[in-house]
Amino acid sequence: MIQGTPPQPHTPRRRGSRLRRKQLVGLLFVAPAVLLVLVFFLAPLCMAFWMSLHNWPLLGRPRFIGLANYEALMVDQRFWGAMRFTAYYTVIVTIAIFAVAFPLALFVERARPLTKLYRTAIFLPVVVGFGSASLLWSWLMNVDVGLFSPLAYRLGLTEKPVNLLATFDTTFWSIVVMVVWKTAGFNMIILLTGLQGISSEVQEAARMDGASGRQRFFRITLPLMRRTIALALILSVAGSVLAFDQFYIIADGGPQNSTVTAVYWIFSQSFVSFRLGYGAAMSMVLLAILVTISVVQLRLLRTPEGA
Amino acid sequence: MSRKAAATRRRAWAATRYHVIGLVTSLLFIAPIAWSMLVSFKSTTEAARPPLPPWPVEGFTTQSYENLAQYGVGIWTYAGNSLSVAAATVVVTVFISLLAGYGFSRFQFPLKNALFVLIISTVMIPFQSILTPLFLILTRLGLQNTLPGIVLIYVTLHLPFSIFMMRNAFDAVPKEIEDAARVDGASVFLMLRRVMLPLVLPGVATVAIFAFLASWNEFLAALILLTDQRKYTLPVMMAAVRSGQFGTIDWGAVQSGVMLMMAPCLGLFLLLQRYYIRGLTAGAVK
Amino acid sequence: MKGLKAAVLALAATCASVGGAMAQQKLTMWSRSSSEAFMPALVKAFNASHKTQIDLQIVPNTEMVQKYAISAAGGSAPDLLSLDLVYTPAFAASGQLEDLTDLVKGFPFYESLSKAHLGAGTYDGRIYGTPMSADASVMLWNKRLFKQAGLDPEKGPTNWAEIEEYAGKVNAIGGDIRGFYFSGACGGCNAFTFMPLVWASGGEILVDGGKRATLNTPQMRDAAALYRGLVAKGYVPESARTDPGANFFGGFATDRIGMSPIGAFAIGNLVKNYPKVEFGVAFLPGKTGGKASFAGGDNFVVTAGRKNLPAVREFLTFVYSLEGQTMLAKLGSLPTRSDIAAEAVKSLDERYLVATEAMKIGRTPSSPVYNDIINSSTGPWKQMLNEIFFGNDVEGSLIKAEKTMQSIIDTSGK
Repeated sequence: MIQGTPPQPHTPRRRGSRLRRKQLVGLLFVAPAVLLVLVFFLAPLCMAFWMSLHNWPLLGRPRFIGLANYEALMVDQRFWGAMRFTAYYTVIVTIAIFAVAFPLALFVERARPLTKLYRTAIFLPVVVGFGSASLLWSWLMNVDVGLFSPLAYRLGLTEKPVNLLATFDTTFWSIVVMVVWKTAGFNMIILLTGLQGISSEVQEAARMDGASGRQRFFRITLPLMRRTIALALILSVAGSVLAFDQFYIIADGGPQNSTVTAVYWIFSQSFVSFRLGYGAAMSMVLLAILVTISVVQLRLLRTPEGA
Repeated sequence: MSRKAAATRRRAWAATRYHVIGLVTSLLFIAPIAWSMLVSFKSTTEAARPPLPPWPVEGFTTQSYENLAQYGVGIWTYAGNSLSVAAATVVVTVFISLLAGYGFSRFQFPLKNALFVLIISTVMIPFQSILTPLFLILTRLGLQNTLPGIVLIYVTLHLPFSIFMMRNAFDAVPKEIEDAARVDGASVFLMLRRVMLPLVLPGVATVAIFAFLASWNEFLAALILLTDQRKYTLPVMMAAVRSGQFGTIDWGAVQSGVMLMMAPCLGLFLLLQRYYIRGLTAGAVK
Repeated sequence: MKGLKAAVLALAATCASVGGAMAQQKLTMWSRSSSEAFMPALVKAFNASHKTQIDLQIVPNTEMVQKYAISAAGGSAPDLLSLDLVYTPAFAASGQLEDLTDLVKGFPFYESLSKAHLGAGTYDGRIYGTPMSADASVMLWNKRLFKQAGLDPEKGPTNWAEIEEYAGKVNAIGGDIRGFYFSGACGGCNAFTFMPLVWASGGEILVDGGKRATLNTPQMRDAAALYRGLVAKGYVPESARTDPGANFFGGFATDRIGMSPIGAFAIGNLVKNYPKVEFGVAFLPGKTGGKASFAGGDNFVVTAGRKNLPAVREFLTFVYSLEGQTMLAKLGSLPTRSDIAAEAVKSLDERYLVATEAMKIGRTPSSPVYNDIINSSTGPWKQMLNEIFFGNDVEGSLIKAEKTMQSIIDTSGK
């Protein structure tokens, strides 16, 4: 559709060959990027939809089956279980990250001695990959050689070392803590940008008018931060819906498959059970949900500041 | 006098409270990393016990690193793979986004906006959902299970952010500079290299550091697309170390591997912090 | 731009250097990490004495099937594979494997090759997999701890009551000594070590040629009760509950575990790497006696269409020679040729004899969807085990798992 479309009639005509050459040069400049996106993004996307209409084993011949994958998916308890869990995780972790990141942003907002150091320290886990962070925490959470349960046991907080990965709640909340540790710094910086974007004159004027710190926060800071807060939440949601590494590495989807996320289940169906067509159908559903979320969120972002 | 003293005391108290909170919070965030680093210098037997205290009691040793070095075909092969994938991703991403950023900023051509929106909107679509067809396409191109194949995918993943960054960087350069150069008769490419490149270098640094971190750390695509053990990247290899060898886990080796994976990220960040934060805030402000 | 292109090409060249392009002379082979103790040595010995060279790669256990299938679909599969025998039907069914019927039947000792392996390696009457390495599940007990607990250190358990009794006595030693260990979050491990407990008591898991799953049986409920009891009484370390198999062997190797159902591979491993652990080997018993074993290990398979059968014959001839079989046995696999098995383990630890016996009575469940129903980390078997060992509703879990398993089996036929 995009590739090779002739210049549209309303583009400037008769401006001499130099202009046309300049157009060509411009196209050439963006061509590699466009080519990559076409080959490694648009084509796979269309292909994924095509595959979702097939019984497509990894080895052997694909067979066209129409919407049968989607029909099967509608009644697939395990798929919807994974979707429910993903939604639950997304809501909880987004709130948790925000609840930690916002106070941190307020804390490091005004530059004082050492503030930079604090910011850097809090931000450090962000640059560590999810893979390494998961490996690190899988050790911290281990009952025999890890840190948390032996420490709690030695401090006399528990009667015996508790295996954090043994029940859903302990597994889930440990992973939430890990994700907060890993991403709070990121959200802190985003929110900090918003805070610093509020002109100090506005704050000063409010202070002159006798507004208390509390009033200034709720009447000025928070409303003016709306867009930034929305952005921070959006980024958290988008990241959480696609969670995989931490649940795969730390919990192996356990205990008893209770922490299998949507991406994990798609991965498992596609690359463990080799039902590529079915995996593609599930991807399409996940994609539709994500695009919907994005569109809604973009709307939210577009609303004028303070409105 | 006494009121002044009270104010001073209040200020001192506020400052103390601020720094206590600051220090404790900072320690909490650094602790897991520091703990793991200390444990990576314990002996294998000591690393198999809870890390209390965290520092090696039986003396510092690099035994864990030596054990790690022997995994599979040797850990340096995997570190080398990761490094070449990350380096190649950085180079190709910078190159392509530099061109595209310049193109989108300075030229008029048909479908310009459509193409820009097309590239940027790919950020909405998670690549996890198109992994399977990506795998099939790479196979068709003969790039499945090759490092260049995975580099191309990483580059594509970073394009929306990078091109957005670079276009903004070029937009910020005043047109007059270019006009002056053009009068001197510089060709388009020469101008890009000699005149524009130095001016957008901060943007390049931002793009480069993001591309490096993301490709160095990526796990899922590498897990699926690389099947030959000699081509594993560090995250994939470490997941294998974590899953045990001879039916046992060497936790010391896991910690040293985690250190190996983290060190370049932390080092790079501490060196180029400014550019990294700039990238984040650029996204946040727009 | 030129420099960049050159760099990418150079990178591509370095990365593409591995491959099976050199036909007969150099073959690539993969083997899973549990064979790490013997496969590299065996291949090395073969390479040293033959013109044909094999380039062996070790792949993590959990990723083997996935990696092989993906590389096969991508056209970069290795020529040869030492494949967990339970997966042979799945790959044979997809047309991925070379037909080895004539080659294997041509061996004069064909009749004495492991039946369990050939059974799993046969699909539609043709042989696609032939025995590579063998492993039978057995019960290990720690003699030192038995002695310390006042038990006869030379006598392992022969029924479930004894398992519970011995575990209790060892556990009573106290400290961090525990009576029993198993990997509680590992489907594959427990197929290997828990399933035989059910078999030895007369139960079945898959019937009608693998077409029907039978999980909710009295034998299964009894076996679950045994493990639940061990867990409830605190005889099993807390970490067992979430061990995905990474510590399958490590538990017993700590020298702080009384008994552990495990594979024969542990014998060689313990002798070599943990000489301090004094242990005995017993059969996996049924509820009131009897014995059973899971005949596991790897089948040797060949990726279809590689035209390398002469070299394959050369390699197999070496593997099945007395030298090859002895070497395997010495390093941790059981012999796969029964006619020379006794001779191959003759010079070895007598504990191998129990394991070779176990191999003879060993069984292997066969299903093209084995990975989905049993081994997969998101599969029904693994989830069910964790629920019936540690959860509250045994019967409910069994019914649910049976239903899920059956639906996977049924869908696969379509």
